[in-house]
Amino acid sequence: MQPGGELETLMVRYQEGDFTAATALIQRLSPRMHRFFAVEFTSRASADDLLQETWLRIHEVRHTYRPGEPVLPWLYAIARHIRVDHYRKTGRTTARELSLDETAEMPGPQAAQAAALTMEELLAPLPPSQREVVEMLKIAGMSLEEVARATSSSIGAVKQKAFRAYEKLRERLGKVGGQS
Amino acid sequence: MRDGEIDDILKKAAESHPGPDPALLERIAGSLQPGMRPVRPLPSARTLELLLYLAALAISVIVAARLGMHGFAAMSGPQILILAAIPILIARATVLTIAAMTPGSKPREAPVTLFAIACASLVALFAILFRDPPSGHFVPQGIACLMAGVATAIPAGLLAWWLLHRGFVVNLGAAALAAGTLAGLAGVAMLELHCPNFQTWHVIVWHTAVIPVSAALAFLVAKLVQIRRSHAHSR
Repeated sequence: MQPGGELETLMVRYQEGDFTAATALIQRLSPRMHRFFAVEFTSRASADDLLQETWLRIHEVRHTYRPGEPVLPWLYAIARHIRVDHYRKTGRTTARELSLDETAEMPGPQAAQAAALTMEELLAPLPPSQREVVEMLKIAGMSLEEVARATSSSIGAVKQKAFRAYEKLRERLGKVGGQS
Repeated sequence: MRDGEIDDILKKAAESHPGPDPALLERIAGSLQPGMRPVRPLPSARTLELLLYLAALAISVIVAARLGMHGFAAMSGPQILILAAIPILIARATVLTIAAMTPGSKPREAPVTLFAIACASLVALFAILFRDPPSGHFVPQGIACLMAGVATAIPAGLLAWWLLHRGFVVNLGAAALAAGTLAGLAGVAMLELHCPNFQTWHVIVWHTAVIPVSAALAFLVAKLVQIRRSHAHSR
């Protein structure tokens, strides 16, 4: 069975009231969601809080998942909503977008360290909309259509964001490599 | 640097991310257990779209029948085209409204695009099909039509709102715009059946205005709901 199909089966069992299926989903999906919140540079405690809040909301609205549909776009759409809601409530965002000019002035890590950059450091130069696309597309392994569903945008817009994000990453990593 | 190399660096960085504490996951699972009961998934999108579509059309026809189908009776052959165009736009608005109630639904055009297409296509069709010269009373007759159109849009909008509440709206503004456009189109459909005033500027200005007024009302209600929710959360 495909991993996606397995998630869908677990989701259906969760809707049927199966607690073991709910626990399995929490175990499998939480690391992805935690990473999704972490790339926005919230503190670990915030990522933990948002993860908890997301599961509570998923539990409330689990009836809105339609069997046969992919689980990940549904889940990420809810996680995005929680994140936006969190920023709105706190009235500020800890996410900081570093422009390329700023990063150019920063002392870059050595080439040997390039591969050892944390995810947060790597994605720091990107605007939030590109950061989330890279996270979903390249790290969570979602398809273009799944990312478009999760972000309520078109496949073309997702492609464009991913392309621009990679241009910036290439520039940043190229600078890192060039300093070796 | 090639895309594949960037992919590898990203994957490596992601693997090094410390995941959530297992104790936290146990706490989350524990907090869900008391509320664990079977739930019925939402009906299929097609079913909901059909229901909303038929309900919106029914509201328009019922209100027009009560007020009198004077517009329909006075229409010439080509003018009937407007009664074919509006249901097509209503069908598209129902698809977007139903999509807004389900997180992660298929990518479609933004509600603002549909809103713009609906207004522009109605203005174009009115300008082509309705050519009566002006005969005075532009504002009083126009306001009467606008009020009747918006009054018809309100029940259609409330129905759409009720349906949206059955689901989970992740973008309240977009959902409100889709529902408001749908409601406005129901109001315009009623006016085309009822209003026998075929003066070009009357239909272009006052009939089309039902859509932006309904969309603005829906957007306003959505913003108020959002403010109320954030106040409730912050308490």
